[in-house]
Amino acid sequence: MASGMGSRINFFVGKGGVGKSTVSALAAICAAGAGKRTLLVSMDPAHNQGDIFCVAPGNTQRKVSRNLYLQEIDTDQWQKRYLEEIHSHIRKTYLYETAFNLQDHFNVLRFSPGLEEYAMAMAFEHVLENSSGMDMIMFDMAPTALSLRFFALPGITLAWLEQLLKLRRLICDKKKIVSRIKLGKREYETKDRVSEKLESLIERHTRLQERLAKGCAVNLVMNPDPLSLAETERIYKRLADIGIGVSCVVINKAGTKGAAPGIPAFAKGLKVTSLPVSGTPLIGMNALTSYAGDQAEALRVFYQDKDRGGTTMRA
Amino acid sequence: MKRIIPGKIFKALARAWRVTDQVARDRATGAVEYEAEERENIFSILVLGIFIGIPAPPVQVTLELLPYMEHELQIMTKKITTAHDPLADLFSVLDID
Repeated sequence: MASGMGSRINFFVGKGGVGKSTVSALAAICAAGAGKRTLLVSMDPAHNQGDIFCVAPGNTQRKVSRNLYLQEIDTDQWQKRYLEEIHSHIRKTYLYETAFNLQDHFNVLRFSPGLEEYAMAMAFEHVLENSSGMDMIMFDMAPTALSLRFFALPGITLAWLEQLLKLRRLICDKKKIVSRIKLGKREYETKDRVSEKLESLIERHTRLQERLAKGCAVNLVMNPDPLSLAETERIYKRLADIGIGVSCVVINKAGTKGAAPGIPAFAKGLKVTSLPVSGTPLIGMNALTSYAGDQAEALRVFYQDKDRGGTTMRA
Repeated sequence: MKRIIPGKIFKALARAWRVTDQVARDRATGAVEYEAEERENIFSILVLGIFIGIPAPPVQVTLELLPYMEHELQIMTKKITTAHDPLADLFSVLDID
């Protein structure tokens, strides 16, 4: 299903307001400048990339400069489309849909916990499917809570699916006993559509889980202040619980007055890169390209080939 | 070769055998069918519990399976009518007076 297997994927995760959008934009500009076809995808419901680049991006890939493309994911639209598809499927398969009055439930289901991160997962799969020509895909993620729920989604869903499939198989075995006795030699081997669906969901979520755990670089963006440090450490631990490793810690706005110096303790053993405060607002292609040029060494970590040396700090 | 048993009697015996056979098969499978239905009910509550106020799996599991679970929704609705006296239901299946 996901065909963007050749693309190198970077996630930028962090507390709200630390500069994930700006850092991901800078990383994308550097990668594009190094000759890599780069797609920058905004997964944050409060999109910023259009304001940063001074363009009006849409739900599809839009070219902003040589080798650089921008896309904003509208999770509300994904949720709406998904619910419409399911409802349409039910109308085709149910005989007694009106009797169960499902329409009212569907009106409420769009507010269900879990649907927003599932919409993000569907959008993620869709981006991969339609980005086979991209060398790099940078995801500017939503703030902490939603991002963590996105990363945890495959594992939690698989835990449920495996138990449900076990129970479903037990039910099917009992039904086979009944049909063998009642129908004798005339056994009708009918496939259980629910079991088939459960198996297909397991396969899909396993693929997603493997892609997130092994095929992506997760970069934590933080500011050098106590609140940001504390939340970044929590994000790091939570990702470790889910089985997702962190590739790099980005200390954005380093050198701010009163900022705590040095490398965070939890980041020992990780790549750490530092971006100083910019003297001018980083809005528009010119300002971004100029700053990215000045900080090229620090930004190289996001797109350089593995095992190539660099000047990035290592804790 | 002439049939030893006259035709009408043969047909009556065959019909009686079919009825007896069917009754015996139904009795043999009654308990197993009840068990299968109960497990289906548990499955429905796990997957579709959100519709009756019970904490449920990640919502996409419910939504993805919903198009294939009309039968289970019917079982769940039917169960509501016997929910006030589940023991009577069980005794009926086990043929306990």
